[in-house]
Amino acid sequence: MAQLKLSNLAKHFGAAVAVEHVDLEVRDGELVALLGPSGCGKTTTLRMVAGFVEPTAGQILIGGKDVTHAPPYARDTGMVFQSYALFPHMSVAQNVAFGLEMRRMGRAEREQGVLEALKLVKLDHLAERLPRELSGGQQQRVALARALAVNPSVFLLDEPLSNLDAKLRSEVRLQIRSLQQRLGLTTLIVTHDQEEALTMADRLVVMDRGKVLQVGTAEELYERPANAFVAGFVGRCNLISGFVDPGGVFRTDWGGEFAVPQESAPGKAIFALRPERVALRPGTGHGIPGRISAITYLGSLSEYHVDVSGNSFLVSMPPPPNDSPLRCLKIGDQVSLTWDVAAVRLLPFEPSSNQGEEP
Amino acid sequence: MAVLIVPASLLVLGLLVAPMLLMLRISLNQFSPTQMMIEAMSADNYIRAVTDPYYQQVLGTTLGIALLCTLLTLILGFPAAYWLARIESRWKSLITILTLFPLLVGNVVRSAGWMALLGNDGLINATLLWLGIISAPLKLMYTPQAVVIGIIAVVLPYMILTLASVIESIPRSVEEAAANLGARPGTVFRRVVLPLALPGVAAGSILVFVLCMNTYATAILLGGPQFKMMAPAVYDQFIRANNWPFGATLAFILLAITMIFTIVGSIGIARRYKR
Ligand SMILES: Nc1ncnc2c1ncn2[C@@H]1O[C@H](COP(=O)(O)OP(=O)(O)OP(=O)(O)O)[C@@H](O)[C@H]1O
Ligand SMILES: [Mg+2]
Repeated sequence: MAQLKLSNLAKHFGAAVAVEHVDLEVRDGELVALLGPSGCGKTTTLRMVAGFVEPTAGQILIGGKDVTHAPPYARDTGMVFQSYALFPHMSVAQNVAFGLEMRRMGRAEREQGVLEALKLVKLDHLAERLPRELSGGQQQRVALARALAVNPSVFLLDEPLSNLDAKLRSEVRLQIRSLQQRLGLTTLIVTHDQEEALTMADRLVVMDRGKVLQVGTAEELYERPANAFVAGFVGRCNLISGFVDPGGVFRTDWGGEFAVPQESAPGKAIFALRPERVALRPGTGHGIPGRISAITYLGSLSEYHVDVSGNSFLVSMPPPPNDSPLRCLKIGDQVSLTWDVAAVRLLPFEPSSNQGEEP
Repeated sequence: MAVLIVPASLLVLGLLVAPMLLMLRISLNQFSPTQMMIEAMSADNYIRAVTDPYYQQVLGTTLGIALLCTLLTLILGFPAAYWLARIESRWKSLITILTLFPLLVGNVVRSAGWMALLGNDGLINATLLWLGIISAPLKLMYTPQAVVIGIIAVVLPYMILTLASVIESIPRSVEEAAANLGARPGTVFRRVVLPLALPGVAAGSILVFVLCMNTYATAILLGGPQFKMMAPAVYDQFIRANNWPFGATLAFILLAITMIFTIVGSIGIARRYKR
């Protein structure tokens, strides 16, 4: 195990910039997730660490050793490919043994290592099968075992769960996480699934268009997003652009007035509020008036889309109890919205940014 | 659905199997200088062909040249095929077509070109003489080496294209996985690329071997009168000696040897592949 350090890493494909100014440190035994929309440079970053892509600029250190220009076979990374990339002509055991053979391990020791790795992923009973005789989930676990068997300094995973169905995905996700923690693996995982990143990672790196926007724990990113993109990408968020007036008033572009913390700096800003921090009451009372435009029942959660002067506002809460007046709300009903001003975040205004998933 | 193969089957039956059966029948007849062919049922022609040292040598030369050319073509073709399969260039399809280009030139025309290059007053000798590197022309034409070079030039495109299509089907990520696990490029080739490309190696080698065994124009034009391979020998019997029974016998022996080597080779590769 070792620490992984990327400094000022960049990759250009001709004129196209895939990755730019990436600074990142993955501590010994830590799991860091690279999160971002399609094409933001996650895979390129990971492949630079593995040595398959030559960086245009910057440095990669594994355990303090500069491997920026080292060939892939000399890097001691263990990579799990999105397509698994198992050797189709070798049995499960031979696949797992491959890395150990390359490390010139003796036969007995090798067999021991294969067995241990297969036991880790609970596949020791299928050792003699060929990859094509396995299900997708089993192949995925062989790929994991193959990478783990060599006890790599850095464990790399590129969307390892994207080919699995939802149930299996959450199962394997937990498996990877517990293995990673038990073995103390320094891990970099790529995903575009925020739930995956939130449940697995010690820290998350949100990327967009080749740049790192924010690095932090799930809670940090959720509670204190650095900008509107992060707020919209990690969890759901109501994002409204407008102007902060002195004295704690936020004037939206369409002329609405929202309460924000008193000490907020005046100027153009983006108002960010998590849907679960908004309280909703039937009828017109105090608060922002709106009209329900859609209700989505999600089991443990209900989502209300509320139309506020032509703008959609998302409110989420656990389904109200049977005797609650909220229970009989239906589309078109008048409601009013209130929130604790402390829950409001004011984010820097970015005219050209394509904001993440807006409600 | 089975009806779909009827036209092709009829064609094969009519144009391949029927003449072959006819040839087999002819090979059992006897030759007579006056009557040309006497109906018979004898193995005399076969006995003569396998016992006559001259024809033993012709067969040996043919087999040796074919095996050598197949091996050299495989060794030369694999890196080129790998490169062709892996380039990510917008010119890829153009390069693939260029690979086929040599086939646009017929064997006779091509060999004539080689003669102009390798002959005693051909381009190479003329240049070397002019530069003063040699004082008398080197014997380049009418040598087995000239034949080998000439054959390889013909069959190389077949090998490259057959191999490239198989290598293309090997995911690059599989090679990357091997490198990631610590395999150097040579090991990646030996342990991953080559085993996965074996079906292509088999198909390409069989194709090339069959073409080499049946070399005709190249053998005559670049090998000269002293150099004999099977296909020209068959031609000689049919056209020059008018000995149809013996010509048919030689043709059948050529066919049989080609088939035996092809089948044994495929079984060998299939067995390795299954392992
Ligand atoms: N070999 C290449 N040549 C040219 N451009 C490339 C190449 N590889 C990647 N890119 C570009 O670099 C950018 C980043 O690609 P990358 O594969 O890293 O994205 P990603 O974040 O992994 O996306 P996804 O979630 O869709 O996998 C993309 O715009 C892509 O088009
Ligand atoms: Mg990707």
